[in-house]
Amino acid sequence: MEQHLGSVCECILSLSTNDKRLNLRALASARSLIINSSTSDSTISALFETLTRFLQLTTEPRALHHTLKLLSDIAFHHSRLSGLVFHSVRSHLLRSDSTRLSAESLAVLSSIAEHDRSLASAMDDLDDRFFVSLCFGPSVSVRSWFLSNAFRFPIRPYVLLTVMLGFTKDPYPYVRRVALDGLVGLSKSSVIEDCGVIEGCYCRAVELLGDAEDSVRCAAVHAVSEWGKMLVASVQEMNKRYWSDAVFVRLCSMVRDMSMEVRVAAFDALGKIGVVSEDILLQTLSKRVLGITKEKKPLGQCSAKRKSLGQYIPKHFDIQACVAAGAFVHGLEDEFYEVRWSACHSLHTLTILSAKFAGEALNLLMDVLNDDSLNVRLRALETMHHMATCDHLKVQETHMHMFLGTLVDNSTFIRSTARKILRLMKLHDLKMFQSSIDGLLENLEVYPQDEADIFSVLFDIGRNHGNFVVCIIKKFSQEIEPSCEGRLDFDSVRVAALLVLAISAPLSEAQKVCSIPSRIFSYAVTLLGRISHALKDVMNQNTLLAYLSHCSKSTIVDNSESFFPMIEGDIPNCSCIDMISPAGMSLQQGASENENQKRLEPRKSATPLLDCQLEVHSEVAKSIKLILLKINDIWFLVQKGCMAEVLRMLRSFREELATYMSDSLVSADTLAFTFQYLRVVKLLAKVWEHFLPPRKTQSYRIGELNLLLGKLDRNLKEMRYRFRGLSKEEELHVLELILVTCILRLSKVEICCHNATLKKLSMIISHAEFLHKEGSIEPYNFVVELKKSLGEIDTYNDGASCRPFLLKRLLESFSLKQFRLSGSPKHIKAEIDLPGNDTEPLPFISGLPVGIPLEITLYNVSSENRLWLRMIVHEQLMEFVFLDLNQSGGCDEVRKFTFMAPFYRTPKAMSLTLRVCIGMECLFEDVNLITDCGGPTRELVYICQEKEVYLGMIAKT
Amino acid sequence: MAIECLVLGAGQEVGKSCAVVTINGKRIMFDCGMHMGYLDHRRFPDFSLISKSADFNTAIDCIVITHFHLDHVGALPYFTEVCGYSGPIYMTYPTKALSPLMLEDYRKVMVDRRGEQELFSNDDIMKCMKKVIAVDLKQTVQVDKDLQIRAYYAGHVLGAAMFYAKVGDAAMVYTGDYNMTPDRHLGAAQIDRLQLDLLITESTYATTVRDSKYAREREFLKAVHKCVADGGKVLIPTFALGRAQELCILLDNYWERMNLKVPIYFSAGLTIQANMYYKMLISWTNQRVKETYATHNAFDFKNVRSFDRSLINAPGPCVLFATPGMISGGFSLEVFKLWAPSEMNLVTLPGYCLAGTIGHKLTTGKPTKIDLDKDIQISVRCQIHQLSFSPHTDAKGIMDLVKFLSPKHVILVHGEKPKMASLKGKIESDLGIQCYYPANNDTVCIPSTCWLKADTSKTFIRSSLNPNFKFVKTISEDKLNLVSKETEDTSVLQVHDERVAEGILIVEKSKKAKVVHQNELLLMIGKDKHDVQFAYCCPVQIGNLERTKGMDFALSKNVVSTSDECSWLHLLFAKLSTKLGGNIQDFGQHLQVDSIYISVCLKDICPYRTTDGPQKESAVFFCCTWSVADVNLAWEIISIMENLDLSII
Repeated sequence: MEQHLGSVCECILSLSTNDKRLNLRALASARSLIINSSTSDSTISALFETLTRFLQLTTEPRALHHTLKLLSDIAFHHSRLSGLVFHSVRSHLLRSDSTRLSAESLAVLSSIAEHDRSLASAMDDLDDRFFVSLCFGPSVSVRSWFLSNAFRFPIRPYVLLTVMLGFTKDPYPYVRRVALDGLVGLSKSSVIEDCGVIEGCYCRAVELLGDAEDSVRCAAVHAVSEWGKMLVASVQEMNKRYWSDAVFVRLCSMVRDMSMEVRVAAFDALGKIGVVSEDILLQTLSKRVLGITKEKKPLGQCSAKRKSLGQYIPKHFDIQACVAAGAFVHGLEDEFYEVRWSACHSLHTLTILSAKFAGEALNLLMDVLNDDSLNVRLRALETMHHMATCDHLKVQETHMHMFLGTLVDNSTFIRSTARKILRLMKLHDLKMFQSSIDGLLENLEVYPQDEADIFSVLFDIGRNHGNFVVCIIKKFSQEIEPSCEGRLDFDSVRVAALLVLAISAPLSEAQKVCSIPSRIFSYAVTLLGRISHALKDVMNQNTLLAYLSHCSKSTIVDNSESFFPMIEGDIPNCSCIDMISPAGMSLQQGASENENQKRLEPRKSATPLLDCQLEVHSEVAKSIKLILLKINDIWFLVQKGCMAEVLRMLRSFREELATYMSDSLVSADTLAFTFQYLRVVKLLAKVWEHFLPPRKTQSYRIGELNLLLGKLDRNLKEMRYRFRGLSKEEELHVLELILVTCILRLSKVEICCHNATLKKLSMIISHAEFLHKEGSIEPYNFVVELKKSLGEIDTYNDGASCRPFLLKRLLESFSLKQFRLSGSPKHIKAEIDLPGNDTEPLPFISGLPVGIPLEITLYNVSSENRLWLRMIVHEQLMEFVFLDLNQSGGCDEVRKFTFMAPFYRTPKAMSLTLRVCIGMECLFEDVNLITDCGGPTRELVYICQEKEVYLGMIAKT
Repeated sequence: MAIECLVLGAGQEVGKSCAVVTINGKRIMFDCGMHMGYLDHRRFPDFSLISKSADFNTAIDCIVITHFHLDHVGALPYFTEVCGYSGPIYMTYPTKALSPLMLEDYRKVMVDRRGEQELFSNDDIMKCMKKVIAVDLKQTVQVDKDLQIRAYYAGHVLGAAMFYAKVGDAAMVYTGDYNMTPDRHLGAAQIDRLQLDLLITESTYATTVRDSKYAREREFLKAVHKCVADGGKVLIPTFALGRAQELCILLDNYWERMNLKVPIYFSAGLTIQANMYYKMLISWTNQRVKETYATHNAFDFKNVRSFDRSLINAPGPCVLFATPGMISGGFSLEVFKLWAPSEMNLVTLPGYCLAGTIGHKLTTGKPTKIDLDKDIQISVRCQIHQLSFSPHTDAKGIMDLVKFLSPKHVILVHGEKPKMASLKGKIESDLGIQCYYPANNDTVCIPSTCWLKADTSKTFIRSSLNPNFKFVKTISEDKLNLVSKETEDTSVLQVHDERVAEGILIVEKSKKAKVVHQNELLLMIGKDKHDVQFAYCCPVQIGNLERTKGMDFALSKNVVSTSDECSWLHLLFAKLSTKLGGNIQDFGQHLQVDSIYISVCLKDICPYRTTDGPQKESAVFFCCTWSVADVNLAWEIISIMENLDLSII
């Protein structure tokens, strides 16, 4: 092949001189040479030379096109030449006078630059005028290509905006569409702040809502939504409501478009609008024009002038609220499930805005439960669930038939979502309660596989509606009581379900004196295993037994006895009052307190709209809570060994949380804690994988496990010590994880350093015991088991003979509990800074001590914490300095001070780098750190990023 | 050019739809229906109005039928076979398939049962159908050189279509009956955004705004479910086509989801045959049916079995669809007689029931006994559920369609007069579109679009290829209303593309119109370019001389010396630039703002000077010239100058 090189090159060159026809054969062989990885470098270089020369010589557009293609192939397959290719194409580009070829060269350049970052700066040399001139040429394809790729080039946003805005007038619909897309892209870059420009863009997008082309209208809807948002943000406070209503109504006018894509886009956009007047919202649920919108006409006068297509509309904003009439009615009965889904989805966000709207929307949503499409039904249920969590779900009797119908739906998802809603639902009268119970019982009969969840739901709704339970149980008592032959009919699921319902009654706050016959509790004891399995989220078997036996003696239960932790966040009216401290009322409080606070406050449904900040905050809190809840589910996957899935989920959680990072409203500390927890779970999952029965011929390096365990240890330690204000439950949770890690360490013969681990084990257990006692918290199963077998483990502490079975059993008894973040932990962290050091090293004289002026900021460090400054040159050259907080001033939340850190043993060197870090002594860790010169006595946990300090010897002059 | 619309039927009434439209010399008949309420000559449209000589083949270019309902197709065999029309007839495939069934059914009822004189025979129907050309949705049919028609999906019934017709530049749409919301088996009407001169739309529910259909479906399902759960039997009397399939899909889905095992029966006959048609014509159904079609044909009802007479008295619950609707006789009456006496059973009546039928009696009031005839009396103890589903769009749907299409004119047909009047008012006031609702045999004339073809010059084409946009700030009225009290900038940025503005349309006698670029115009007509220049000699006060005496430059009493000329100009420049900002430039001999030149006027008598101005002693004169573009600015500057006093520093 390569022998032909000469002829190939000749052929190519000949093109430029005499022969006008393209020698495609030569080009094809050139290309095959380029993409063949075994072609020698010299050949490629020769080809490159030829092509470059050719590029300079020829003017024939078709030949140039192919040459550019070949050159870009060279750049991609032989990265060492990419720089050269880049420059030769670039010089050609500057000479070229054909727009089409310029565009092609630019495409080649930008794709090379995107691969090779070092060349990106060379792109910056091309000025805006050059880029923009491309799309002012007559070639439409270049124009649309350029507009859709404009963001790849370094063009100033305002220039880009002008170009995009101008081309929305283009006669070619495709160009208009791309220009609108470009405007949407620009709106996200948030550099445009000029009010007039924003308004201009918005108006232009509004004009294009009437375009004849479907795709343009679709893009216009996106643009109206985005620029409308910016417009609302840019106007003065008093006009915000007006504009956001105007944008909303504008979008509503598009929901009756004939194109499905436009309708979907319109509904998606509706859901993104954060503030809308209640009367307009209500209008969207009624096809008839409501009096309220008729009279007030909040959006301009009723003077719609004739607007024929394409005609310039001077009055952009004369739009009436009645345009919004029935938008959601239409959306929910649309022919396309995509539209119905999208309509349900936007209701999801809009129902937060107004309780009245939510109530009306529910009438429609209930009907959607009869939809053909499973996706839409599920979406509707999820929207209802969301409404329930916002306490906006007001279910009426007329809804019950439809709603309870979903309990016997074919789909598992539908059933379980319906039950989730039922858990939160407030049932106002006995009839509704009765029908709900009947629905659940029917669900149980038809789908026995749902038993556990149904029991748990029964228990929850029973707990919320104690009075009704008593009535119902009276009615059913015949069924529950043993039949006349003295035979208990307890194997019937129905009876079991009724028993679960019955035993929930004494826990109801409404039912202080419970009139459930005490023998029913004794009956329930016979089904202990089954019931406790179903209620495992609420209590364990022992607690249940204790509770049942207590109740079978007397049915008066004082809530303060607190048999069970309430499931906060899932029951709207549970009695969590005692968990709320007065301090918990501030906005910056943590997740659950906020939840509770929200429930206790009477909802001001009339004015819920303008400040959504609280909502946003609780959104984050909710999201964190949800993630914690989901992590619980993950454990199941871990045990199954679906590691890829687990890691993917954890990653997605992390990404989700990361989106809140910029949000100043969220307590960064809570987020940090959640991140830490996610890290721990990830490591634990990774470690756990090593203990699963090997699936295939997997091989792990021993070092890897050791490394992972080390990481896990460190992260757990950070979790334990770097957060202040953890509740006892939370601390116990962390302790349990540490215990598991110890057991894991012990289980691998090749790893364990028995004595240290055992010592740690017993220490943690005793600490846990202390916490249990102090907080009167029921210890976890795992901890109980571990305590029992601790003695056994200990006796075999000579290493090799440690009982593998015992440990295995212990590990089996462990399962990840749901982490309930009740308060807001304070993240202990620190920052070190040494301004100016990057450019100018600190002077020092070797052998003499040097003082390093560090600017230290400490967050949430109390004066009891013992902090150490660690300074390392290399492993052998390490010094610790104690940071005396009493001299630093400031409060516990933030302390900021400058500390002159002395470093004594400066080595003989011209310059050196000192790595400085702050560590905190772990209170409960053992003393096993041996330092020679008065360093810390306990293990340290490092609370800041390591900072590099540069020192330079003072030059002798 | 004008479009003429002659309404032969369904003008201010419902029944015998027929409209003859003449566009640019082409005549199209839309629908050819019969009125079911009359038995005399009023049953058919008055075809004589189309052509006095009864030569329909030359009078009419084609017939378009929108769907198979008799009030839209009923008179077709009569018109073709009896009146003798033999031109092309267009309808969709399903309409072509189902129309003969409907026509034959009607003919049989009329002739066999009621013993009336036959208006057309079975043969006529078959012959007529042979002339029909079937079209597909969105298929553009070139009827002849100038006339195109295209069908769009209309919902309503299987195969219903709206028709678009275009002759030359004039275009219109005739909707027939349509539905803007989908139901369980048919989709919603769907049409492109077209440039229309005329829209002829039905207006059956011109004032009704219907709520979501879901609520009624829910009530229906609840009633049926409750009845069968309690062991009762449900009778649903329906017509064979349409409603039966819709309800059946609804029930079949519900059965599926709820795991119900109660049998659903179809009484044999037309329904089974109709189901077959539905199964074949899947592409005319709604999106869901189409989507799931590959895995499961929605008309293959899973829970439906065919009914056997012996099952009428079989124990246990069941659901039965029986023809005809309204329980006007036949099988549904037979079953009703047997099932009505039990209170466990349910009769569901979908849709409207004609007065006089048992269905009507059941829905009005709660009769306990119904006299079938003199001898037979049925005691009615069963539950009655009425269901009102309509396949017609409601007022909001009509408005939505009109708004979406934005035609220049609307004609309402197929509705009741007072309601049409109200809808007309709404269309005119809300959408600003002219609207008519002619009575039968009336003609409406509307102007139509006429496009003129023009040549273009190459320069114009070239300039049109390159974008040439400008940004202009204009004041938006609405915003003005809102923030009128604020003093902030209330202009809105707008984009203009100047390409069209640069073209000039030239229409010369006996020549084709031509568009040229503005630069070419002079060349073409062989004339020189003229600029209009304005001039005004403006006096500027210099106060009394005593006050200026102290100045450096000497002033002779009457003449301003040439050397001072510049000084005055400088002085004026200084004054003006404080007022105008940096726009003004000083060129020594003159000042310039855009095209405005200002120089000192030394003439005693200047043609641009007004005589009633101040005397020379107290003023310096400045000659100002400017071109048209800066008229406003120029007068603004002049008014500033006139109010100046150069002597005050």
